[in-house]
Amino acid sequence: MTTKQVTVLLLVVVLLLTPVLVSCIPGGVQAARGWAGTAFHDGIVYAGTGDGRVVAIDVATRSHSWYYPTTVPSGGGMSCGPAAAPAAIYTTPLVDGDLVYVGTYSGRVMALNTVARSQGLHFPQRGHGEWEWDCPKNDAASNAIVADLRMRADAIYVSSSNGRVYSLDKSFGDLIWESEVLDRKHGKLWTSPWVEDETVYVSTLDGHIYALSTETGQLRTEPPFAGWPFRSETGFASSPVLDNGIVYVGSFGNNLHAIVVGESELLWEFAGDKWFWADPLVSEGIVYAGCLDGRLYAVRAETGEELWHFETMDAKGRRVPIVSSPVMMGGLLVVVDEAGTVYVFDPAEDLASKGEPWRVISIGADVRSSFCAHEGVVYIRGEDNWLYAVDIDSGEVSWRLSLTAEA
Amino acid sequence: MIEVWHLIIGNPILNVLIALSHYLGGSFGMAIIVLTVIVRLLSWPLTKRQLGSTKALQDMQPKMQELQKKHGKNQQKLQQEMMKLYKEAGVNPLGCIWPMLIQLPIWIALYQAIMRALATTPENLLDLARRLYSWSLVNQAIPLSSRFLGLDLGQTGSGNGALGLLLAIAVGGTMWVQQKMTTAPSVDPRQQSTARMMTMMMPLMFGFLTLMFPSGLALYWAVSNVIGIVTQYFVTGGWGYLKLGFPSQPTQ
Repeated sequence: MTTKQVTVLLLVVVLLLTPVLVSCIPGGVQAARGWAGTAFHDGIVYAGTGDGRVVAIDVATRSHSWYYPTTVPSGGGMSCGPAAAPAAIYTTPLVDGDLVYVGTYSGRVMALNTVARSQGLHFPQRGHGEWEWDCPKNDAASNAIVADLRMRADAIYVSSSNGRVYSLDKSFGDLIWESEVLDRKHGKLWTSPWVEDETVYVSTLDGHIYALSTETGQLRTEPPFAGWPFRSETGFASSPVLDNGIVYVGSFGNNLHAIVVGESELLWEFAGDKWFWADPLVSEGIVYAGCLDGRLYAVRAETGEELWHFETMDAKGRRVPIVSSPVMMGGLLVVVDEAGTVYVFDPAEDLASKGEPWRVISIGADVRSSFCAHEGVVYIRGEDNWLYAVDIDSGEVSWRLSLTAEA
Repeated sequence: MIEVWHLIIGNPILNVLIALSHYLGGSFGMAIIVLTVIVRLLSWPLTKRQLGSTKALQDMQPKMQELQKKHGKNQQKLQQEMMKLYKEAGVNPLGCIWPMLIQLPIWIALYQAIMRALATTPENLLDLARRLYSWSLVNQAIPLSSRFLGLDLGQTGSGNGALGLLLAIAVGGTMWVQQKMTTAPSVDPRQQSTARMMTMMMPLMFGFLTLMFPSGLALYWAVSNVIGIVTQYFVTGGWGYLKLGFPSQPTQ
């Protein structure tokens, strides 16, 4: 073989091997695995898993009722991965009667019927009300759906990584309207809309809050929205939460903001040490906000005055970020830190006013997802893809179940 | 070990990159360019040593060619005489490789910083919070816009269409020029053939990598190559081996 032939052969080998090698090299990027949370409805806990399944767990029998594996076609050809990869799920299942709505990182929104899924029928079963809708890319880098879906009346509201909000008919999945691109700087929406009255509120990574009409998707500029869209110096990390005409939202500038609807100035801002990533919770005039600095803050909703704060702590004495949003259950405030420690506060008791929890329970797994609570039990999906049922009264994990085990 | 890496190299580079982006009007592309220049300036002593070795090899070429003419038919003797020549001139033929290897950790950290700062997945964005210093300007710059000159720096070159292809050509082209300038011709036909192959394959490979890696990293490669070419030009006083080319095959 001549030198020239060897050269050509090596060139061909390099050109063929490069794509294979590149697809196998781990870089500084973490793969999108999803962090879908849990939803409770009619004795069933619904969750998304790290391997792209939507699962339904029967709480009474503590077993799988059904599961549906989402898939997204991979690039195919030469790669180390499987031919069809599971689609990452970030959205917590949204349940309405027999239908479970889920959005995937591959840009698909699905309505799954619990009866059809229990019978393992081919998806979608139109007769059972099932549908799927693929979000268009519209020249954007991605159409991934990362933020939780919202429902109001007959519509599902979807934030997409292509920078638009979509309104879909919840019965058939038909597109009702799409908004203009709301974040031109980053081109993506990773926060959930908040829907109240006739308005959809959207916070963006580039620091805007928009008010859209639920009917048309058009920006609302009539009073009281004349001073909007609201513009902040820093981007918004959390979804907006509306209470009593005030929007509460966490920012990348380490602040929690309160903005009166339609006003261009902040009502107040409250400073933490890191991002307010988790959506705040407003209850009885108090804003409860978990922060990535490892503290839970209780702030007076009207003034932004700090009432108390609580510091999480791991075994090594370090503060643990709070990624999941707090939940109120029967007057009790439930917070879970990233290391999987559940803190229960009773705002009615003096203990809470000192920032001391009534219960502290560890599930022993990392937690990044939102969680649900029902009748004294908190259902948490750990990053290990197990479902943990935490009994608040006994202060123990009453049972747990692998979500990825075969049903 | 990984945490030590992030503490000493990874996180400082990441935070400087984001701070630069804040000062440069939120342009992450400009931040990559400026950081590349800063890194090249900081690694100047190593680069100078590398270029010194290259220049010394270049200066030795007439003597090498004499040796080739004299011992062309006796490869063993030719190798011995060449090593002798290297020794007399105080030149290590691998002298230009070590500075490159020492710079490798910085390149890896830069790569990781670019990828992390762009936060292309939600997990990356959340992970970024752990790595940021409490400087308000760093937090205010987050999340970064990945748009630069029509490119999405978080997208692969192929995902950027025609502009991505142009970037791949720029990366491959500048790498080819830089390699041609610095690759010393060998009198050994086998080494010469290997060198020719490397000069061709590396730019091709990086061109392909540009199509498959996020364009932010490819921008770093292209800028780094251009700086390398300019530095090489002024330090060695010309286009080096790009002009000289490879010596002719020795007569068998």
